[in-house]
Amino acid sequence: MLQLLIAHLAAALAAPALVRWLGRRAFLLLAAVPAASAVWALTETGSVLDGAESIIRIPWVAALDLDLVFRVDALSWLLVLMVGGIGSGVLIYSSRYFSSRSTDLGRFAAVFVGFAGAMLGLVTSENLVQLYIFWELTTVFSYLLIGHYSDRVTSRRAAMKAILVTTLGGLAMLAGIVVLGQEAGTYELSSILANPPVGTATATAIALILVGAVSKSALIPFHFWLPAAMAAPTPVSAYLHAAAMVKAGVYLVARLAPGFSTLPIWQAIIGVLALLTIVHGGVRALRQSDLKLILAFSTVSQLGMLILLVGSPFQAGALAGMALLGAHALFKACLFLVVGIVDATTGTRDLNLLSGIGRRMPVTAVIGALGVASMIGVAPFAGYVAKEAALEAIIDGQAALAPFGMPILVIFALGSALTIAYGLRFWWGAFATKRGVTASLEVVRPPLLLVAPPMAMALAGIATALLPGLGETLLTPHAGSYPLGEPGHLAIWTGFTPAFLVTLGAFAVGGTVFLARRHLSRMAFPWPEQWDGDRIYRNTLRRVDQAAAAITTVVQRGSLPFYLGVLFLVAIVGAAPGLFRSTVGANLWFGTDLIVIAASVAIVAATVLVVRARRRVKAVVLAGITGYSTALIFLIYGAPDLALTQVLVETVTLVVFMLVLRRLPVYFSDRPLAASRWVRLSIASMLGLLVAALAVIVPQSRVHDPISDRIPTAAVELGGGKNVVNVILVDTRAWDTLGEISVLLAAATGVASLIFLRHRSTERPRPGSLEDVKATLGAAEPDPIGNLRQPRSADAPTRKANWLVAGMTLAPHRRSVILEVAVRFLYHTMIVFAVFLLVSGHNAPGGGFVAGLVVGIAITARYLAGGRYELSAAAPLQPAFLLGMGLFIAGSTALASMIFGGEILESAILHWTMPVFGEIKLVTSLFFDIGVFMVVIGLLLDILRSLGAELDHQGDVLDEDGEPVRQALEPAGTIERREP
Amino acid sequence: MRRLRFRRISWGTVFWVALVWVLLWGDFHPGNIFAGALIGIVVQEVLPLPRVPYSGRIHPFYLFKLVVRFFVDLFVASFQLAAIALNPRRLPRGAVIGVQTRSASDLYLTLTAQITTLVPGSVVVEAIRSNGMLYVHFIDVDFQGGIEAMKQGVLATEERVMRAIASDEELEQAGITR
Repeated sequence: MLQLLIAHLAAALAAPALVRWLGRRAFLLLAAVPAASAVWALTETGSVLDGAESIIRIPWVAALDLDLVFRVDALSWLLVLMVGGIGSGVLIYSSRYFSSRSTDLGRFAAVFVGFAGAMLGLVTSENLVQLYIFWELTTVFSYLLIGHYSDRVTSRRAAMKAILVTTLGGLAMLAGIVVLGQEAGTYELSSILANPPVGTATATAIALILVGAVSKSALIPFHFWLPAAMAAPTPVSAYLHAAAMVKAGVYLVARLAPGFSTLPIWQAIIGVLALLTIVHGGVRALRQSDLKLILAFSTVSQLGMLILLVGSPFQAGALAGMALLGAHALFKACLFLVVGIVDATTGTRDLNLLSGIGRRMPVTAVIGALGVASMIGVAPFAGYVAKEAALEAIIDGQAALAPFGMPILVIFALGSALTIAYGLRFWWGAFATKRGVTASLEVVRPPLLLVAPPMAMALAGIATALLPGLGETLLTPHAGSYPLGEPGHLAIWTGFTPAFLVTLGAFAVGGTVFLARRHLSRMAFPWPEQWDGDRIYRNTLRRVDQAAAAITTVVQRGSLPFYLGVLFLVAIVGAAPGLFRSTVGANLWFGTDLIVIAASVAIVAATVLVVRARRRVKAVVLAGITGYSTALIFLIYGAPDLALTQVLVETVTLVVFMLVLRRLPVYFSDRPLAASRWVRLSIASMLGLLVAALAVIVPQSRVHDPISDRIPTAAVELGGGKNVVNVILVDTRAWDTLGEISVLLAAATGVASLIFLRHRSTERPRPGSLEDVKATLGAAEPDPIGNLRQPRSADAPTRKANWLVAGMTLAPHRRSVILEVAVRFLYHTMIVFAVFLLVSGHNAPGGGFVAGLVVGIAITARYLAGGRYELSAAAPLQPAFLLGMGLFIAGSTALASMIFGGEILESAILHWTMPVFGEIKLVTSLFFDIGVFMVVIGLLLDILRSLGAELDHQGDVLDEDGEPVRQALEPAGTIERREP
Repeated sequence: MRRLRFRRISWGTVFWVALVWVLLWGDFHPGNIFAGALIGIVVQEVLPLPRVPYSGRIHPFYLFKLVVRFFVDLFVASFQLAAIALNPRRLPRGAVIGVQTRSASDLYLTLTAQITTLVPGSVVVEAIRSNGMLYVHFIDVDFQGGIEAMKQGVLATEERVMRAIASDEELEQAGITR
């Protein structure tokens, strides 16, 4: 079983390569995989006949008590046979259906095989959670299959419709599964069905699960996705409608019916929806002129019949339903493939354009006739056997069904009559010679591989009908598990029973309707339009879009002050009440340390001046002073690690601010003192007061011993490091760090993509070509002290030294000799310092984050001294590479511990002895820290690239007058809003 | 494939990096020294920079003199600056003074400029490479000793720097004796 699933997975993965290698012939090879599951099912026939059920159990998530469990009983056997047999037939058919030149065949083949695998897993799952996973897999794969022609808008819309509707049902079903599993105390189907829970919760759960089944099986009110799915290639339609997808819902109903079909809510949902669907699908099938749409609505109608039968609590109904399930799979797949042949050979599916096809393609016409005969229930076809059994069951069950017995019988008979009518009309439309329609369409003879699969299916429809006893024996084990009645029988001839008379009546009515089709097509459709599922779907979708747009315009208005205002208000409203209730006193005593007092005074003074500053640069520098002063306080209070980090972050922030400020106006814009400013002022003051109050009150509120008391010993024992901060970052809360560096990566990419308006890769001149751009950067700008740059005399010694790689690319007034020399001497030292911080960070102040910042600052210094070419030379790697590599290393470290049998992100402490070095202790979390290190470097590099080099580059672009073209950075809020 | 080729290693840099490494760890273990030297080589290979055009020679005595004098200047200038800042009646009269340095090397120019800037009360605002001019801002020229004295002070710093680390030839070119 598991091997089969793995085979499907492997085939799906190999499919694109196979298709590239063998072209469309690869489908023949791939057809072997679903065929293998059908063959496997056949080998299991013996044990199914004995009523034995084979179970395979593979332990999976032990913590959730979740095992992979596969069980094959009579019902699963039937479904596996269908999924595998029809699947391989359709794949063989596909090898000729698609043109050898068609594109995306590799993807199609992969998805198709994957879909077959998901269906296989679905119908053999014993565990409900596992079943749900396969269920959603079929949803996703069907989305890809229906949307195969991704360049067609109808195809994309149909795929979207299918996935929205079936996922809606799937989510309801998941909720139902969880409730049911909790009520039953197990998620394993056989245990639940052996001992079905009762009560309101169970009834709700069952209703929710039925929503899933009904949406998948396209019953009213979810039926509309199925006809739309006709946008898919015909083989997909054949498989989806005959053996897969929609049959998943039927399967689930049949699976749960033995345990729950006596629940009133079950009977209400199944009965009402199935009966409505039978009539609705049948009537609409009569009115289509596209052959595929006739079949689509026919499927809708037949699904109603199937669900009605397998969802009934009666054993006889279940037996008939399972027989009809198999018969429907054969004839519907056959008919779809026949339509595909007609479509492929004539180029149309419109029955108003087709004429005389039967005479030109007699074999295809005969296959079509066999399929239709089975569909409308002519003896001796499988469809006939199943429908007779169904009518028998309904008639025999009249007493138990009262008072609904008669309406059910009438509607079922009406459904049969409609089937006969649209079945005849289908064959007539496809193959008959029609008066008034010119049969001028070119017809190509279909190749054998196109004809063989539908023919095999049609013949199988006769074969199974000729052996009704075998079918009965095989299907009775499951039908027998239904709660009410006797299993009944499958037979070709039972005499002139009431059921036979009803069939005759249906034929009479159906034949009449077919003959009167011209008059019928002029009659108005009785279904009220506002109840049409498709219309409701479209309206809902539109309203959701409108509501989303409305909410977005209110909430996401693009104004930074608004966002901050909301955040701050929430903080104030959330935290202030707690403060007012607090009974502890405030601690206003901060100590007498002179340095701390001085630093605090500096912070206060700088803060006041920031608010009053009108120049942007002044504001940024003053804000920097508060940061550095805070670092000083950290240092005094014994947190060198924090102080180091604070100083570095502050430095980087200053540099980044300066880079941005180059393109912003010198002064803040002058705005009148409008009401909004008073609002902002009050929010800001309240928040300031709140934070200050929190700072003095919260430390007093502690009632327990702080956990941090125990951290230092735990850090050494478990994390192998004395630097508590670093151990927390890379070990204790490494999950957080992993999340944070992921966010960092996203932010860096966001910054880059906002600034790089064109594309991300900047030009990177080879070192040899730097001579070509000598003294060009900034050459267009005026040099304010150019007259001071005159050489001392003609014979004075010239200075030719190159301190940096690309310093000479800057124009003289952009260069600073002091900066160049200083950077030349400090660069390697800073790198070594960073390496030290990285390696020693586990025990001493430092770590990957800080080390990354130091490297970033070293690179920044080179950029500032040598311009953007220097930046390229200093960091020849793309920032994206560093970011991705860093996350990869951190993630690999997290997973590596699992390979060695530990928990995820668990760190190990390794000791070994080396000559010269002596004993070495290595904590594996170092590698995690290296990942952090690289992400931080990547982030800074991205910032330098975009806010530095790219803005430089834009500034170096000259307009017609030789003036640099400067694109001002757009202030937030003026970005053009796209209309939805 | 790019051909693998090694760059010329500056052994001075290797020594410096190893020294920094050992000092950072605070442990003169042979393994540490070896690791430091290794890092020194790897750093130069992976993150190359142009070779430093240094042809001078280090004179320990004059280097000692330079360092001592720097700290003395630092000490004296701090009090000077405090006096200027704390005298409420005095209105400091600052000036930017251009000084023509004599060496032909960016290195000595830079060191002179850095030392001058580090001493409180004087800041180099522009160092011009093409002609070796240093433009230095003094916070209160009169209090600090007058324009000419300031100029001579900067030139004296240059002399001390060059005596400490420049070659005889360079000293001769600049017209300085040791």
